[in-house]
Amino acid sequence: MRTAIIGAGQAGRRTAELLRGLDAEREILLLGEETEPPYDRPPLSKEVLLGEERPRGLMQRAAEVYEAQRIALRLGEKVTRIDLGAARLETAAGECIAYDSLVIATGARARGLRIPGADDPRVLTLRSIADARALRARLRTGLRLVVAGAGLIGLEVAAAAIQLGCAVTVLEMGERAMARCVPEAVSARIEAWHRAAGVVLEFGCPLTAIRPQPDAIHLVTGKGEVSADLLLVAVGAIPNMELALDAGIAVDDGILTDADGRTSHPHVFAAGEVARIWQRGAGRHVRFETWQVAQHQPVAVANALCGEQKPYAELPWHWTDQYGRNVQILGTHSAALEWLEREDGGRLIYFGVDPEERVHSAVLIDNGREATPLRRIIAAEKPIQRNRLLDPSVALRQLC
Amino acid sequence: MAWHDVAPEGEFEMDVPKVVQVGEDRVAVFRLADGFYAISDVCTHEYALLSDGFCEEGKIECPLHQACFDIRSGKALDEPAEVDLAIYPTRIDGGVVQFQL
Ligand SMILES: Cc1cc2nc3c(=O)[nH]c(=O)nc-3n(C[C@H](O)[C@H](O)[C@H](O)COP(=O)(O)OP(=O)(O)OC[C@H]3O[C@@H](n4cnc5c(N)ncnc54)[C@H](O)[C@@H]3O)c2cc1C
Ligand code: FES
Repeated sequence: MRTAIIGAGQAGRRTAELLRGLDAEREILLLGEETEPPYDRPPLSKEVLLGEERPRGLMQRAAEVYEAQRIALRLGEKVTRIDLGAARLETAAGECIAYDSLVIATGARARGLRIPGADDPRVLTLRSIADARALRARLRTGLRLVVAGAGLIGLEVAAAAIQLGCAVTVLEMGERAMARCVPEAVSARIEAWHRAAGVVLEFGCPLTAIRPQPDAIHLVTGKGEVSADLLLVAVGAIPNMELALDAGIAVDDGILTDADGRTSHPHVFAAGEVARIWQRGAGRHVRFETWQVAQHQPVAVANALCGEQKPYAELPWHWTDQYGRNVQILGTHSAALEWLEREDGGRLIYFGVDPEERVHSAVLIDNGREATPLRRIIAAEKPIQRNRLLDPSVALRQLC
Repeated sequence: MAWHDVAPEGEFEMDVPKVVQVGEDRVAVFRLADGFYAISDVCTHEYALLSDGFCEEGKIECPLHQACFDIRSGKALDEPAEVDLAIYPTRIDGGVVQFQL
């Protein structure tokens, strides 16, 4: 029996390793387009830019580790077609590979800007370790870097670049930093860190054209023109779901799966960021762009491949590290919640509460020790009096 | 190798570590239900102090990316940590908790 996994990223690696743990016999094939063995991406916009060649956080194992686990890791192999009828894959090199079950773990790619001039070589995106090294090689003192997008990756790059001595401007179409995932008060704090470090932040400022000149690129924005040496585009990610779409597997902003990771085809699964997973609690499919989903949703997939059910139902969690500060986001941000702030000597908690005083979501700043008690509080769905939430002398573990 | 004082036994609360710096090493000492245990205070994933983490049932969770370690054995229990923590012997000498390093 052979399971083929397309995409040798974090979710592909996890699926392969977990599957080997559950089944000593089966043949496992892990096919990846990149030439690097699988790695975790969070350090790319942090330690790698600041100069660490191979930070531990990449979780990158040597090729021999895969051999020892009898996982056939094939790098530099792009899958170009899935033939569901024949249960076969085709690769860019022209090879046909038969499978008994298939996992699509193709992740996502950085969204580009569809404006004139966006194909200039001074316009970069950041997704892979190769991208991170290319960007790092160009960040030097005095370089004028413009970042398009004040999301998590754009802001992490801005933080790293200003620490490396670049002159950094962030242009954001929306009104505040990380608006998709944190409440206004948290955006204001993050913006203050950036401004204190010397980053220029411009909101309500869409980029409409790029005018390449020999010595600079001129960026036309809603608020006038900016000159730059380099533009980093960090305006979101697009799931790599074309293989599934062409094969006739159901997709809709991601490959649709049930909580076990199974797609509309019974022998095909999707793992990690490319999957849009059925969430019973929310009553809809959700796609997550987080380390967490690539780490833990493969548990459901590997079990389902072995005929066991371990449905994926985790409270969403992700983090960002900027200027040595750690922000963790639990649950899904919603403007419909009221946001309460608890401060305790620089450690912060923001609770997103509903009118019945139940906590649904939270943001922690430099306060990771409260993540586990908060997860329990959110899962319990019990009303908690706000004076207790706000009182730093009441330990959260007493409230769950 | 030497024994280092941490604090009198009575000053330890359950699950709340005390930290001692010895040269370059930071050691976190915990009172658990069955005695005192000393571990390296630095997460083996990236860089975080485990004494800032959440401690329960003999486990300490890293405050940054939530890797878990067994305090008694130092074992890394889940990713993103894979390397175990150094652990150090402890004893009580004249009512004072000590560890050996
Ligand atoms: C710069 C950066 C920083 C991040 N920081 C954080 C953070 O701080 N916290 C957090 O929670 N999350 C963070 N994330 C998000 C997190 O890293 C991703 O959600 C996670 O990597 C998703 O893993 P994955 O395995 O699903 O996809 P990927 O890691 O993208 O792996 C997919 C792999 O499939 C390969 N592939 C695609 N198509 C094919 C094909 N046709 N044939 C063969 N191979 C193919 C790709 O080349 C890729 O290697 C960050 C992401 C980036 C890019
Ligand atoms: S630094 Fe401890 S889990 Fe990452």
